[in-house]
Amino acid sequence: MKKAISAGIFALLLAGCLSGCGKSEIQPGDVVGFDEGEILVSMWVHTIEDTPEGEAYKKSVESFNENFNGKYFANVEFIPRNDSGGGYSDKINASVMSGDLPDVITVDGPNVSAYAANGIIQPLAELSEDEKSRYLDSIIEQGTVNGKLYALGAMESSVGLYYNKAILAEAGIEIPTPDDPWTWTEFSEILEKLKPIMAEKNGYPLDMTFPVGEASIYYYAPFVWSGGTDLVSESGLEVSGYFNSEPVANAMQYFRSMVENKYMSAAPIEKLFESGRAAFKFDGAWEVNTIYQSYPDIDLGVAPYVVSDNWDGGRYTPTGSWAYAATSKAKNIEAATELVKWMSNEKSGLLLYELTKSLPSTYGAYDKIDVFTEDENYRHLYEQLRDYGHPRPKTPVYPQVSTSFQQALEGIALSGKDAQSELDKSTERINAKLERYKRENEE
Amino acid sequence: MKSNKINSIMGMAFFGPALVLLTLFLFLPMLLTVIFSFTDFFALNPDLTHFVGLKNYSDIFKDELFTTAFWNTVKFVLIIVPAQTLGALGLALLINKATVCKKYFKVAFFIPVVMSLAVVSNLWMQIYSPEGILNTMLAQIGIEAQPFIYSAEQALPSIAIMSVWQGVGYQMIIFLGGLQAINPALYEAAEMDHASAWQQFKDITLPELKPLCVFVFITVTIGAFRMIVQPMVMTGGGPSHSTYTLVYDIYETGTVNWEIGLASAMAVIFVIFVIILTIIQSVLTKDKEAKSNAKK
Repeated sequence: MKKAISAGIFALLLAGCLSGCGKSEIQPGDVVGFDEGEILVSMWVHTIEDTPEGEAYKKSVESFNENFNGKYFANVEFIPRNDSGGGYSDKINASVMSGDLPDVITVDGPNVSAYAANGIIQPLAELSEDEKSRYLDSIIEQGTVNGKLYALGAMESSVGLYYNKAILAEAGIEIPTPDDPWTWTEFSEILEKLKPIMAEKNGYPLDMTFPVGEASIYYYAPFVWSGGTDLVSESGLEVSGYFNSEPVANAMQYFRSMVENKYMSAAPIEKLFESGRAAFKFDGAWEVNTIYQSYPDIDLGVAPYVVSDNWDGGRYTPTGSWAYAATSKAKNIEAATELVKWMSNEKSGLLLYELTKSLPSTYGAYDKIDVFTEDENYRHLYEQLRDYGHPRPKTPVYPQVSTSFQQALEGIALSGKDAQSELDKSTERINAKLERYKRENEE
Repeated sequence: MKSNKINSIMGMAFFGPALVLLTLFLFLPMLLTVIFSFTDFFALNPDLTHFVGLKNYSDIFKDELFTTAFWNTVKFVLIIVPAQTLGALGLALLINKATVCKKYFKVAFFIPVVMSLAVVSNLWMQIYSPEGILNTMLAQIGIEAQPFIYSAEQALPSIAIMSVWQGVGYQMIIFLGGLQAINPALYEAAEMDHASAWQQFKDITLPELKPLCVFVFITVTIGAFRMIVQPMVMTGGGPSHSTYTLVYDIYETGTVNWEIGLASAMAVIFVIFVIILTIIQSVLTKDKEAKSNAKK
């Protein structure tokens, strides 16, 4: 009897706990604007509603619903995420297991491959050549896996090699044209020339760090790409002979020489460039706005990204940002594709630029924003992105490639470890993670 | 009999909700972790999960990074446990003797404990930065700037010292409570016998605090083994993996690389290791107690 009572109470409590978790499909009329006869397209975005970014998404969705009234209805859910991307990606992972994915999700550019390889997202419905040609090449490249287009974004990003005009004028250094950037050797000579000048200012020629996280591969992989190799094979399934190849080792050695010759501080010093104590700095496009707003004393310029001595003129500069993709749960791929196209179109890009200052993804949007023609720094960043933008490695094990790159860079450049053996070790580690995908391919 | 039944129902009603929540959010996940550790469960593709037996476990022991993380964690424990236990005891003794501003010191040493670890880590990044307070102070006495968390040699001790600073206040309060519970008559008697301060400490204070010491020792050890926030915020496990800890490795494997199966196996090994260590600690300390009791 006692047992029965306790079991009963236990079951009751358990049921009470669980009943709160059940979730039912949204029906027409449940949400304002969702009418009978419309196809529901659900979407998750990686930010909360009360941010400028969230506001831009909300407005784009509203205009989608107006435009497709009577046909489609998009319902957006805002999911918070922390700096490193947790929260949102945890929710995606959990939903992959429970099968609760919406029709459309946002994906960070480098994760497109992993999501595609694991069947979390599906290729978009066919886009016309005209529709495709509106996007920057780097956006199409980033969203394409094995020849199929999976994702389109409204935002792009870029990294600039910023310089302090006053300091370079003092040293008598001319900035080259975008099609004839400084090579490693030339750049080293310039840094050598700047060293005594910067020492007087209690600074360094270069404000550079190799931070943990995504920044290191994002900023410095161009040194590998301009050397004529990639970090992974075309298929994304091979790293031996790529990640540990000679051009990668050379790039790593080049960074080591920056540290050894004291062109940069081995330990990061805050605001070195911003306080006028460094001549150059690699940083995201947002730095232009930061300097304009907070450090008006710095006369800022954007120089072409440095290239390897063996550069063949190919694409090599940093790109990549969040994009939209249709999940494998999307039953109506036409509807989902329509939403992806709308969320990434010129109008949405302009809205995002207006509210968050992030770079747009379509040629049309750049033409409509004055600052990209009038301000030379923004124009340089746009032209670099348009003409030389290169996506980050496309492989399902991207997270491992990214961390390995940073760790190798840190070990070789800062601690002076042997480049080849460090890269070999990293390659082995990435290979172990790739096994799962190779096995799948064989099956 | 009837009141017994009512009592039992009442009891169930009180602990029932807690039991359900604990089962859902603690016991069930623990059980799942053990099950997952024998599979190649991959977060992005759960459908492809196979049973792989002990493969995860054998892979882990071959993994150089796991070994590095293991030894880093041991190093952290070896620095933090003695420093934090002795530090807490020392502070408690000093505050206990203090005649002025006793409350002020108590609060001052306890404040870091209530601060968020992420906040404390960010604060210390400023302190340790190349042009930060610490290096400025060192420059005053003619020592050249140290890289601290930016060098593979100094990063681990730097973070360990910070952690001790952050956590020591908690154990200090525990010791302080213990000290105040000691019967003052013992000290009075000792003074009558002209026992020195050291003798009083060795023969009265320490034995009286013994049970507390064991508790503090074990909690600090487990706390140190769980180290992750500080290296994550301050160094990202670097430079050159010198501050990469076991729990950090588990996190990276499971959340960043999506390999839940492998991460679960790591977690199981970690738990077993901590349990063994705790048993050893309690057996060692108990043994002595028994012996000293026997002597009496």
